[in-house]
Amino acid sequence: MASLGEHVLRRKPAAEMTAETGTDTDTGELARSIGLFQLTLFGVGATIGTGIFIVLTTAVPIAGPAVVWSFVVAGVVAGLTAICYAELASAVPVSGSSYSYAYATLGEGVAMVVAACLLLEYGVSAAAVAVGWSQYLNELLDNLFGFTIPDSVSMAPEQGGVLNIPAVILIVLCALLLIRGASESARVNTVMVLIKLGVLVLFIAVGLQGWESDNLSDFAPFGFSGITSAAGIIFFSYIGLDAVSTAGEEVKNPRRTMPLAIIFALLIVTSIYILVAIVAVAAQPMADFEGQEAGLAAILEDVTGASWPATVLAAGAVISIFSVTLVVIYGQTRILFAMGRDGMVPPLFHKVNPRTLTPVPATIICAVVISLLAGVLPIDFLAEMTSIGTLVAFLVVSIGVIVLRRTQPDLPRGFKVPGYPVTPVLSVAGCIWIIQDLRAVTIYVFLGWAAVALVWYFFYGIRHSALRRAEEAREMTP
Amino acid sequence: MTIAVGFAPDGRGTGALHLAAMLGRSAGEDLVVCAVVPEPWPPGVARVDAEYQAYLAQTAHEALDHARERLPGGVEAQFIIHHARSAPAGILEVADEHGADLIVAGSSTAGHHGHVALGSTTDRLLHSAHVPVAVATRGFRCPPDCRITRVTAAYGGSHHAEDLVVGAAGVAARMGASLRIVSFAVRSHPPYTSGVGTSGEQSVLREWATEIEAAARGAIEHARSLPAAPGEIEAVIGHGRNWDEALEDVEWAPGDVLVVGSSAIGPLARVFLGSRASKIVRHSPVPVVVVPRGAVAELAGEAEAGTA
Repeated sequence: MASLGEHVLRRKPAAEMTAETGTDTDTGELARSIGLFQLTLFGVGATIGTGIFIVLTTAVPIAGPAVVWSFVVAGVVAGLTAICYAELASAVPVSGSSYSYAYATLGEGVAMVVAACLLLEYGVSAAAVAVGWSQYLNELLDNLFGFTIPDSVSMAPEQGGVLNIPAVILIVLCALLLIRGASESARVNTVMVLIKLGVLVLFIAVGLQGWESDNLSDFAPFGFSGITSAAGIIFFSYIGLDAVSTAGEEVKNPRRTMPLAIIFALLIVTSIYILVAIVAVAAQPMADFEGQEAGLAAILEDVTGASWPATVLAAGAVISIFSVTLVVIYGQTRILFAMGRDGMVPPLFHKVNPRTLTPVPATIICAVVISLLAGVLPIDFLAEMTSIGTLVAFLVVSIGVIVLRRTQPDLPRGFKVPGYPVTPVLSVAGCIWIIQDLRAVTIYVFLGWAAVALVWYFFYGIRHSALRRAEEAREMTP
Repeated sequence: MTIAVGFAPDGRGTGALHLAAMLGRSAGEDLVVCAVVPEPWPPGVARVDAEYQAYLAQTAHEALDHARERLPGGVEAQFIIHHARSAPAGILEVADEHGADLIVAGSSTAGHHGHVALGSTTDRLLHSAHVPVAVATRGFRCPPDCRITRVTAAYGGSHHAEDLVVGAAGVAARMGASLRIVSFAVRSHPPYTSGVGTSGEQSVLREWATEIEAAARGAIEHARSLPAAPGEIEAVIGHGRNWDEALEDVEWAPGDVLVVGSSAIGPLARVFLGSRASKIVRHSPVPVVVVPRGAVAELAGEAEAGTA
């Protein structure tokens, strides 16, 4: 019998992952076809739109106009972690999520922690963007038809509502599409990126006319700590940058392309975010941000005094946030599917409907849980939970890079972090720095969640682990 | 028993005629080739022109003469002219009158050569026939003495699907053909932006394939245990990013027909194409036989009993 330590550190053999995904057959073989330009666009497309439409309302009251610097801080940390993530991803022969990478390199226990974080990065962020979507939908309805959904059915209980019904409907719609087997094509993805960029550029161009230098006079009212706490929330708008690393096996010359694409995508995304932030904080006084719904559209309306730019922006947000929610819920179901295969969650999660070829039970469970979160929790809490989950996942990954370099120096890696050991150490430090400035309640809830995940692992996962069963089966048959 | 085949007066129906001959030859059945002409209007203000009626009758006769010339040998056939409100209604009436157990129709000229394309008549037949409907691919021709060598049943893993396999096994055994069970997996790559990697969908597909293979093995066992079982039975899966690729992924030969069951949610007795079935039909490179649910049960029952 293996000891507890051996269970926790059990790693999934690469050969098994290849067999599971069918990468060795012609159906899974992928040609190295993605170049630097395309990969950069993927990075930009995956990142923009998750948070920029909704974070300013929460971040500006914490940092003041210095929120601009929060974007820089969050961007630098996101870039460092994404580069560390790329090394871990390249050490595993098949592409997957951070959970599969952690399982193959750092062991079962760590994989479970990463999975717990991913449930926040995907599930909770889907809830957060859905709430943001309901705000923009309301703005759009108001501008077009002079009709708004009453607060009681469009707001979380904490804000005086009962249930955020539009957010719930959005998630149910996405789940139905996913059950039917809808998948976002590269073309749809490109269109969505263009819509997102288009409305942000519109915001910058129109919002500039409302430039009021007075609004910037008290630039950093809460000093340095204000900037880092806001960076914690803003980190939410950088999730998705790591998606670049999951395309690893299709990238031409990954050693060079990967870091460049991450850096270029980061530069583009950060520049847009900073421009949006500067325009926003210059256009209206800091006090106005607090509790503002559909922030960017509201600012445009105030600046121009006309409703059409706000309408266009809200329409763009409604369309593009819909696609973000779809993709994020998709990702969540596939992560749970992988965990179901590995025996970390009940086998129900890896049941596939023979007609639609989709994991229907996993999709329904995800939709129910996510819509409950979106229906009753306020957006700032959801955004912070997403941020802390993502930050801890990346913290683990960055430490993992250092650990792996020591324990398995000969492991073939398609891509190595430049500037080792400084880069992963900076990445770890950056994550911790941002995390410790988040609200205490967020940190406690996260610790509670991590504890739940570990208890689950020690009482369920460790016993049902598919690897353990395979090992035991081998022992039984000498 | 009989096979009813509609032959359009414009002579486009050669594909259907060849398919009907191949099916008739393989199953030892005779054909009823019909040309449908519009019913004369009731006497009234329209004052139907007798000359025009004569012209229509003449055209229909010529069409049937064409059909006689083009019908490949080795099969008994009678040629009839039928008056009806519309072509599909006429073909259905003829099938009823002659007790046909299969209707054969052609593909529209709007589709790709070598693929099935549903024209208005065929589409209507597919939605209202009580017996199986065979649709030829566009430009289908069978060499003289060509027979059905393999019956391929599209298999979706449900209970009805197993009945379809059993029914197809009975028909294949009767024709001396082999049986093949095919399932289709149509999935594209996941979006890069989801961050779960490009093989996220592969593991879902593997899971599905394991399940469908197990279910297909069960269906094969069932088919082998029949009183008259086909000599060879195999199961394959066609993978692809779209239906076209998935159907091309499977190997096809002349002498193949693809059998598809009608939707489980449509009316019991009639053919009603479901979303998946209609995609399979429209992308098929070989002739397709669409079987209504009621007829599936009947065929399966015959196969179980070893009759017919």
